[in-house]
Amino acid sequence: MARKLLIGISAQGATVARRRGNRIAECEVFASDESGYAAFREYLTTCEYIPASLMVDTVEEDYRFETLPHAFGSDRAQMVTRKLRQHYRNTSYVTSWLLGRDTSKRRDDRFLFSALTNPELIDEWLKAVIARGLPVAGIFLLPMVSAALPQKLDIKAGNLLIVAQHSGGLRLTFFRDRQFRLSRLTRGDNGKSSDRARFFGEEISNTRLYLHALRTMTLDEQLTVLLLDRQDDLVDVAAAVARDNPSVDCVRIGRNELSTRLGVSESLLDISPYVIYLQLLGFGASQSNLAPPSVTVGYKRHQARRAIYGATAAIALGAAIWAGADLVKTWELRGAEELAARDTAQLSAQYLQITRRFPAAPASAESLKRTVEIAQTLREEARTPRAMMSVISRALQSSPTVVIRDFAWKYGTSEIEVENRSARAAETAAPAAPVFDPRMQPKPALVRKQSALIEGEIRPFRGDYRDAIDTINGFADRIAKDPSVAEVRVVKLPLNVNPTLQLSGNTLDNPERQTGTADFELLVVFRPNV
Amino acid sequence: MNQADFIALRTPLLVLLAVLLVAAAAVYSTEQIKASAQRQMAQQEGRLKEARTRLQKSGDEKDIIVRYRDAFRALERAGFVGEEKRINWLDGLRLTNQQADLFGVDYEISAQKRYRHAAALEPGQARLYESTMRLRFRLLHEEDLLRFFALLERQNVGIFHLDQCDMRRIDTRGVIRYQPNLSVECELSWITARVPPAGGPK
Repeated sequence: MARKLLIGISAQGATVARRRGNRIAECEVFASDESGYAAFREYLTTCEYIPASLMVDTVEEDYRFETLPHAFGSDRAQMVTRKLRQHYRNTSYVTSWLLGRDTSKRRDDRFLFSALTNPELIDEWLKAVIARGLPVAGIFLLPMVSAALPQKLDIKAGNLLIVAQHSGGLRLTFFRDRQFRLSRLTRGDNGKSSDRARFFGEEISNTRLYLHALRTMTLDEQLTVLLLDRQDDLVDVAAAVARDNPSVDCVRIGRNELSTRLGVSESLLDISPYVIYLQLLGFGASQSNLAPPSVTVGYKRHQARRAIYGATAAIALGAAIWAGADLVKTWELRGAEELAARDTAQLSAQYLQITRRFPAAPASAESLKRTVEIAQTLREEARTPRAMMSVISRALQSSPTVVIRDFAWKYGTSEIEVENRSARAAETAAPAAPVFDPRMQPKPALVRKQSALIEGEIRPFRGDYRDAIDTINGFADRIAKDPSVAEVRVVKLPLNVNPTLQLSGNTLDNPERQTGTADFELLVVFRPNV
Repeated sequence: MNQADFIALRTPLLVLLAVLLVAAAAVYSTEQIKASAQRQMAQQEGRLKEARTRLQKSGDEKDIIVRYRDAFRALERAGFVGEEKRINWLDGLRLTNQQADLFGVDYEISAQKRYRHAAALEPGQARLYESTMRLRFRLLHEEDLLRFFALLERQNVGIFHLDQCDMRRIDTRGVIRYQPNLSVECELSWITARVPPAGGPK
């Protein structure tokens, strides 16, 4: 828990408490005079850099309930600021507290405006704090701080009046449904027990009348009066109040109970009545901070620094946990790897022992098998032109005029070259020797096919191109009918009837004489792996 | 944020930056170390799995050796396994020429290189090589071509693949006598395998 400096200021002086952890560790009281201010400044020099929260208990306070049209964001802020300026021109210690929405048709916003109307009361104290360089977290009015008291003391009354004797007089603060409504600071207790009971009773009655006048609460309604008796000297008062006011339920919280419920040592309760409220102030930021931004700028920076250091620590911690987890995982992996290596060595040794009993072999079993299988595959994949020649021979039997001059055959992944025969060997040399890479995906089975280019002529040829072409086409058709053949393509015919080319010849019809030649070329392609 | 704020927050911001850098470096380096350990672990697990499988299959391995050893030896003798034996090929060519009763064979053997289609055969530890042999010879009849290669295969001097052949008719001007009618040019690949010896690199 962070350390805090808690300062309760009244017209009589200041009560300064230093909070460590969840408790007030020490408390001192300074009078509201030059010697008190000097002592306070001296005291502050002993304080390290900790945020300070100020609380004021004074009659020079003001509370107003206002309803404003419902608005959001900057509109609401501007409206509230304008309203605060209207009400409180002479002080910068003002604040507003949004209480909720009105139940009327317009559902306006309900605000509680509060102000410290005499800023001079805290000037000297605040100057000393700022001069010391301590960040000011906020300035609060005591009744606002006491709003946390019913919850801390577990008081569930709907109409609750907290009554406590302070150095400046009797403080009466009224809460309805745990929401602040009214607070008064009166003077006049002379300390005598009989007078005190009457005084308390009168002030409680006055407050009830005032609440009735404000229409906050009727006189018939049940009221719970909570007497804060830090010195156990209000037993008679509590009894008198209960006796004199039938509609009042008087609850006295004594010294021991205050100490237990609030976590303040009894010795500290003796020092000042403000210790109770300073303890409440230390629990957390109260609503209605009166301090203007110029006062809290140091605290904002302090918070920013803390946030940055917090983020830094979180990052460092996160990184340390992450890196630590990584290192632990690495250590586990190394251990597992060593174990696996030992197991591998053991298995390898066993395997070696077994292999010593194996028959002598020139290579590993896997290599033996694979090599024999590869040789078998290579033999099975070997091809000769026999199948192609057989197909062509069968087709030739029905075409006695077809004469083959040249027969080129190829067995490869691509067909035989048609245009440039001299380059046919390229396919065998072109692919670069593949480098064996075990990471490579296995390639699909090799697909090769046989292809042949047949150059021939029609003999005898006596100028009848139609007949020659029919003969060639018939020859090609007979080849194509063989089930092994995937494709037959006539690459060249005796007569090129392309209209873009020149064409010349002799039409002399002489059965004894050969007229020109009827050359042709056929490409035959077998189905793959035939 | 004004200048005063920045001055007030400069030190914590610098500390934050420094811690961020150190934290990032620490996390990055430990991540790298962990990733490296994971890789090594994965490799070691692979080796362990391999060793376990090898041990489990050691019985099968013995059977494989017994079953394939002789065939492998035969391939060694035939010249398929091991360094290529060009002299055997030439002897084979010479004998084939004699037995086929041809008019002589011109040959040309290229430099050895890795076999083009080795990957399709998934050779494992073996490495396959090929040497292209170009042959030129003449024939009386087309059938002699097939007979020639059948005889060459029967010499058992290695494994070869016939890649292409070009058979062209020779113009004999109608003269009928014992002389070649066809000229042939063929290309074939002699394929050899180099296999690491037992206990060699896995």
